[in-house]
Amino acid sequence: MRNKMLMALVTIGLAASSAHAATSTENLASTCNACHGLNGVSVGPTMPSIGGLPEAYLKNIMLQWKSGERYSATMGRHFKGYSDAEIAALATHFSKLPWVPVVQKVDAKIIAQGKDASERCETCHGATGSEPDDDETPKINGQWAHYMHMEMLKYRTESLKMPHKKMRNNSKKLDEADVEAVAKYFAAQPK
Amino acid sequence: MNPINRRAFIKAAIAAAPASAFLTLPSTAHAAKSARIVVVGGGFGGATAAKYLKLMDSNLDVTLVERQKMYTSCPLSNEVISGHGKIEDLQVGYDGLKKRGINVIFDDAVSIDAGKKTVKLKGGKTLNYDALVLSPGVDFNYAGVEGYSEELANSTHPHAWKAGPQTLALKKQLEGMKDGQTFVLTVPPGPFRCPPGPYERASQVASYFKHHGMNKSKVIIADANDSFSKKGLFEQAWKRQYPGMIEWVAGAAGGKIVKFDAKTNTVSSDFNDYKGDVVNIIPPHHAGAIAKNAGLTNDKGWCPVDMLTMESSKQKDIYVVGDACLHGDLPVYGAPKSAHSAATQAKVACGAIIAKLNGVAAPEPFFVNTCYSITAPEWGFSVVHIYRVKDGKLVYIAEAGGISPVNMEDEAQLVLQRKLESEYAIGWLKNIMADAFA
Repeated sequence: MRNKMLMALVTIGLAASSAHAATSTENLASTCNACHGLNGVSVGPTMPSIGGLPEAYLKNIMLQWKSGERYSATMGRHFKGYSDAEIAALATHFSKLPWVPVVQKVDAKIIAQGKDASERCETCHGATGSEPDDDETPKINGQWAHYMHMEMLKYRTESLKMPHKKMRNNSKKLDEADVEAVAKYFAAQPK
Repeated sequence: MNPINRRAFIKAAIAAAPASAFLTLPSTAHAAKSARIVVVGGGFGGATAAKYLKLMDSNLDVTLVERQKMYTSCPLSNEVISGHGKIEDLQVGYDGLKKRGINVIFDDAVSIDAGKKTVKLKGGKTLNYDALVLSPGVDFNYAGVEGYSEELANSTHPHAWKAGPQTLALKKQLEGMKDGQTFVLTVPPGPFRCPPGPYERASQVASYFKHHGMNKSKVIIADANDSFSKKGLFEQAWKRQYPGMIEWVAGAAGGKIVKFDAKTNTVSSDFNDYKGDVVNIIPPHHAGAIAKNAGLTNDKGWCPVDMLTMESSKQKDIYVVGDACLHGDLPVYGAPKSAHSAATQAKVACGAIIAKLNGVAAPEPFFVNTCYSITAPEWGFSVVHIYRVKDGKLVYIAEAGGISPVNMEDEAQLVLQRKLESEYAIGWLKNIMADAFA
């Protein structure tokens, strides 16, 4: 027990002494909780869970919001206040937390409709959204359906700056009636 | 490990790490054995403080004193008045905090003895503290509008500027209105709780009119101020959604209300009279009374604090967070009096308290505020504030933050932007409530 505690303290000490930023990552991350939930597990259907998402994905998206390369309704205004190093550290921090799918109850008919329409999603995100192809692609199993639906509305809005061409094209190829069903299909997947 | 060694280890860890690294500290780590922290006020600021103190060091003895068993969120309560939201969705109890090992006492904290470090409760108890977090919110200065009173607020003329029974009372009054009638809303001089709140309320009232075919009804905003939060965004929304329905009268144009005649339902400035079928007076306010009684307020009734730690500038070991404090470097408000500000301030205070208990310097703070307003279903917008430390001072970061774009490249973008933020507002509330109370 003692050793365990000692180890924990020393680890914290080391981690902190290697941190370059004056404001610690933990400090910054605790302010994210207000909208994204404790440990990055959201309880609000329109806000995404972020704990346990791939590091490269998190880092890219935050940097793209900051530079304006990617449209955001709100987040760009936040990240203009963070240094690139802080963003990288936050990406590392949240990627190390466990991914906790919030499995949402969905009507079996909608699940079937969503599954049928989700074929084009599978290549990158995995059949149930839990096995992304690479570190730049988010897990989407047990992500909030309402959030994913709105995210696809962004990709489907022609004039908006959404940099991921593949995602843009595939979102637009979905039938309007299937967008919500696809979001709900992935939201219902525990793993 | 003997206690001295353990203390040394903790000290070393804190010196190198920020206090918030305590989030990952094992539960056995704490300096003073069961340091006693009292938190007064169980709103967003107080609840967040109680929870995060316990998260950062589970051995702390944390007591939360709150008057009411059920909290009702002010954010999104204007949507209850218009019928777009339900009050039940804004309410939460304190069981979540109790489960985390926080002592929750339902009582009224009546006085603080900063010398003896005690808080006296109405029920007779006296609590000792090593550090006190004070999050009393606001109290109203009814004398600021001659003829208005607490009695009227609790009966015929609810201000509804604290969510709860008055919110429902005002909703009922709105529902009793007929087409062609006028709703008069008065706004006190800043700073007041929720800077965009009055204008969101006016929008929600107009939304009610529109949805009930009351197109001849009007909202008059008699404002003591000459500008307001998110003005361009509100005016754009009013023009699109409620053309001709909402009239804003600036302070310079005679909008500053000083008098109310309940018999004729008329409010008056030094220049104009406004007669309403419903008159909703938001009285001027200041920090909760307990703060003034404890000598924590300035001449304007707000609590100055060390902006990096939230410790009162007037008394040691008392940390004032939320609407009651004077924080930030922006004109009039410093930092906006919002739920999100209160929650961030609370987290900063927790870090500073734990650092001090362990005899080390407070960690460098980071403050953020996000505040959404909804003018109609699918039409929302926000303001973001970020404050950081530069050259030892807390400053607003102008490169970041700001309001949602007023204009966008095309209509599709604008409609989507407003829709997204109206939906984010609801997700934000769920998360920030859980972050404070669950």
